Amino acid sequence: MIRRLANLFRVEGFKWIAPAMIVLVALSVYPLLYSVKVSLTSASGAFTLAHFRRLLDDRILFAAAWQTLLFTVAALAIEFALGLGLALLVDSLGKARGFFRAGLLAPMLLPPVVAAVAWRLIYNPQFGALNGTLRLLGFDTTRLTWTSGQSSALFSVILVDIWEWTPFLFLLLSAGLQAIPVEPVEAARIDGAGAWRIFCDVTLPLLKPTILLALLLRGMDLVRIFDQIFILTQGGPGTATETLSLYIYRTAFRFSNFGYAAAMSFVLLAVATFASRRLIRAMGPRRA
Amino acid sequence: MKTVLKYIGAVIALIVALAPIYWLVTISLKREIDQFAFPPRWIAFTPVLTHYREAFSSGSFSVYFTNSVILATVSTFAALTLGVPAAYALSRFTWPGDAREEIAYWILSTRLLPPIVTIVPLFLMLREAHLLNSLAGLALVYTAFNLPFVVWMMRGFFDEVPKEIEEAAMLDGESRGGALLRVVLPLVKPGLAATAVFCLIVAWNEFLFALILTQTEAAMTLPVGIASRVTQYEIKWGAMSAAGVVAMLPVLIFASAAQKYLVRGLSLGAVKG
Amino acid sequence: MTIAVNAGVEGTALKAAAQEWGAAHQTRIEVVELPYANLFEKEQLDLESRTGAYDLIMIDDPWFPRLASNDNLAPLPHDPDADFVQSCLNVCRYPATTGRYFALPYVGNSQLFFYRRDLFEKLKLNAPATWNDVLDAARKISGSEKMYGYVMRAASGNAVVADFMPLLWAFGGEVLDANEKPVCDSPAGIAALKFMLELGKYSPPGYAGFNADEVSAHLLEATAAMSINWPAWIAAMDDPSKSKVVGKIEFARMPNGTVKGVGELGTWVLAVPVASKHVNSAFEFMTWATEATQLKQAALRGNPPTRRSVFQMPDLVARFRAFPVQLASLESARPRPRTPVWNEIENAFGISLSEANAGKLAPEEAMRNAARDIAQVLARAK
Repeated sequence: MIRRLANLFRVEGFKWIAPAMIVLVALSVYPLLYSVKVSLTSASGAFTLAHFRRLLDDRILFAAAWQTLLFTVAALAIEFALGLGLALLVDSLGKARGFFRAGLLAPMLLPPVVAAVAWRLIYNPQFGALNGTLRLLGFDTTRLTWTSGQSSALFSVILVDIWEWTPFLFLLLSAGLQAIPVEPVEAARIDGAGAWRIFCDVTLPLLKPTILLALLLRGMDLVRIFDQIFILTQGGPGTATETLSLYIYRTAFRFSNFGYAAAMSFVLLAVATFASRRLIRAMGPRRA
Repeated sequence: MKTVLKYIGAVIALIVALAPIYWLVTISLKREIDQFAFPPRWIAFTPVLTHYREAFSSGSFSVYFTNSVILATVSTFAALTLGVPAAYALSRFTWPGDAREEIAYWILSTRLLPPIVTIVPLFLMLREAHLLNSLAGLALVYTAFNLPFVVWMMRGFFDEVPKEIEEAAMLDGESRGGALLRVVLPLVKPGLAATAVFCLIVAWNEFLFALILTQTEAAMTLPVGIASRVTQYEIKWGAMSAAGVVAMLPVLIFASAAQKYLVRGLSLGAVKG
Repeated sequence: MTIAVNAGVEGTALKAAAQEWGAAHQTRIEVVELPYANLFEKEQLDLESRTGAYDLIMIDDPWFPRLASNDNLAPLPHDPDADFVQSCLNVCRYPATTGRYFALPYVGNSQLFFYRRDLFEKLKLNAPATWNDVLDAARKISGSEKMYGYVMRAASGNAVVADFMPLLWAFGGEVLDANEKPVCDSPAGIAALKFMLELGKYSPPGYAGFNADEVSAHLLEATAAMSINWPAWIAAMDDPSKSKVVGKIEFARMPNGTVKGVGELGTWVLAVPVASKHVNSAFEFMTWATEATQLKQAALRGNPPTRRSVFQMPDLVARFRAFPVQLASLESARPRPRTPVWNEIENAFGISLSEANAGKLAPEEAMRNAARDIAQVLARAK
């Protein structure tokens, strides 16, 4: 191990990479190690495993973890499907492509805080644009409480994320589609394959690296979702939209329980690392 | 016929994407009575500029705006300065064994750290270094935030450029660094632009770190300023949406100008392999 | 000097006072306005890590036991005078009611009961003196007028707990007993929650997620007829540019249950962090800002004062028709339990209450959960 590190230093490229690594170690690794220490320290400063023990017993944590998972999977699946559909659609529009692409990218460029504010306005059951417009069209909106309703809150928040981040997947998948070489597609068409077959057998496999990258990037961001929920619901009603990041934040900064917050954040980290490793493996070895 | 349907679909998607933004803009321009009127006044209302005046004359928003601008540019510049050489090194030099992929993965994995994990230690560290509640401290954090992305993206772009090109330049007497600057970088301009734009956007939109690591308006950014308009009794929708509109304008303008580069850059770079 | 204030009417008033004082003393004062929840977090971080970022802070009284612990605050150089309302002074002491003074009260908030006098007159109803009157009126108004008889905040956390406390107390219930054990699941507590759910039937759908702005919007837009509310909203109710019910709302004492009705106390106090680098100036400003003349200014900006003399100033009484009621309510108001872990208790309690109001849990189960969660919070704090 030491020899490997020593070898590393001798590599010519190492001095090119060193500054970046120093910054990362100082600002990402060291805080991480510090967090470990905090998670094992009680409020009075003594060593304790109590924080980790509490992880097994905390019903709000379970709710938060479950909801984070639900949120991630649902949002990712829908964003992916919509993003792919839009990418295929816009790709086939010829000259107008640029125009549509520019417009469709808008939601993801907003600061998430701004998007959340806009949607909070829109979701207001009594005075918001959504219920207002629905009422205008004749729908009865008394049961539609969006972010205030126990059963609809999570769904409403997911909807906001879908609105905001489908453009990201659209962008990535569009780029992927553009990068696909034309020969295999042409060859398949000459062979007489229909559009659907071409898509399944030729396009999709070639798109795989992009798809996995998109799932990885967006998935990682979803697991630690914070900004939108903070503004939209603060985790409520009850614990309906509580996610891991929000709960950790609250434990640390409102209840001043840094030890437990640190312990929980390691759970979050473990999940994120596990999932990302699998995805990166699946992406296959890079071409040098 | 199929084309017409396609266009209709695209237009519907466009409407869905832009309607909430449009609504936000109208709220920022409506009087309070109009903001919550039924039926919702999508078009018919008298625009007023009071909210913008309120948001910016109170002083804070101009400060937040400047802070955000400085922070975004400085941290992007720093991330590129540190990340481009690193990416180049990963792309070009020979590394023992698996080191190349290990390092690359390690760098990327720091990006996967949920901010909430590192935020308390960072708060304490910045306090020790007297960098708390300062743009410098925040810039440092944002640079670390953006570095992995820069390295990952730029490495992909560098990989696309055949080694022979700078080898030829070096045979002619160029140093390695010179070759990078004068020969290779111009070739990856679209990728560089895309990466830079991404970093700018991330830094501009960032919320959690700015929320915790700043304490007074001297260092607060636009997203923090906007969130701080959510008061206990009365959400100042007008001022908040005015600030929101101003917060999103630079990003939208900038990104739509660079939109070509974004797609091209992404398709050339990390997407492949 | 740097002052941290609540982003809202309280902060605006202190900000104006700060500018005036700063100009007079040639001192630059920076006022940082933060939203409610974030204000606590920032103050907590600043106090615990002694960063000295703030020289004067605004504290909502439930936070006080937490923020005053660990010798975080500088004690007052001299005790406050007797013109201040006693209930407000009690929460400025650490330990509560008996300890040293660490703060001065700035905004004297205690909950009031808002109802549409005109509708009551129209339906020949007497002013609501008890909660049963309220329920009765809510039923009648919802039936005959095209509006909701009642509206309340039931969003998880501070909102639902603050609106539930008066009911809990009116039914003779408590959150904690004298030994700091949770007793919210007593028969009185459960009865209070059941009553809240009854009122919920006449409230706008989605009230389980309402905060103060939604509640007041319903009153202002004349879509709801009664609610518990804070005096800060009185001004808006009579403001033609915001309200459709100018002059029609009566601001009254909290209705009675089996126990005489009391409003919950929600006083904002000013304190100086011990790590501040300008302790003396901060105390000077604080004392000046809580003098009668200054509190009168704050009152004109929409903040109920904390001095008896200011409540009784004739020109203010003429202008704020509810001042006599507010003073009476303030003097009898009850603070929330004085425990350093109130935030966590409020969080746990709020979750169960909100779930009950959203129909997710039966009242008994909700209260049992709450009691269990609160017990855990208290146990961990030992």
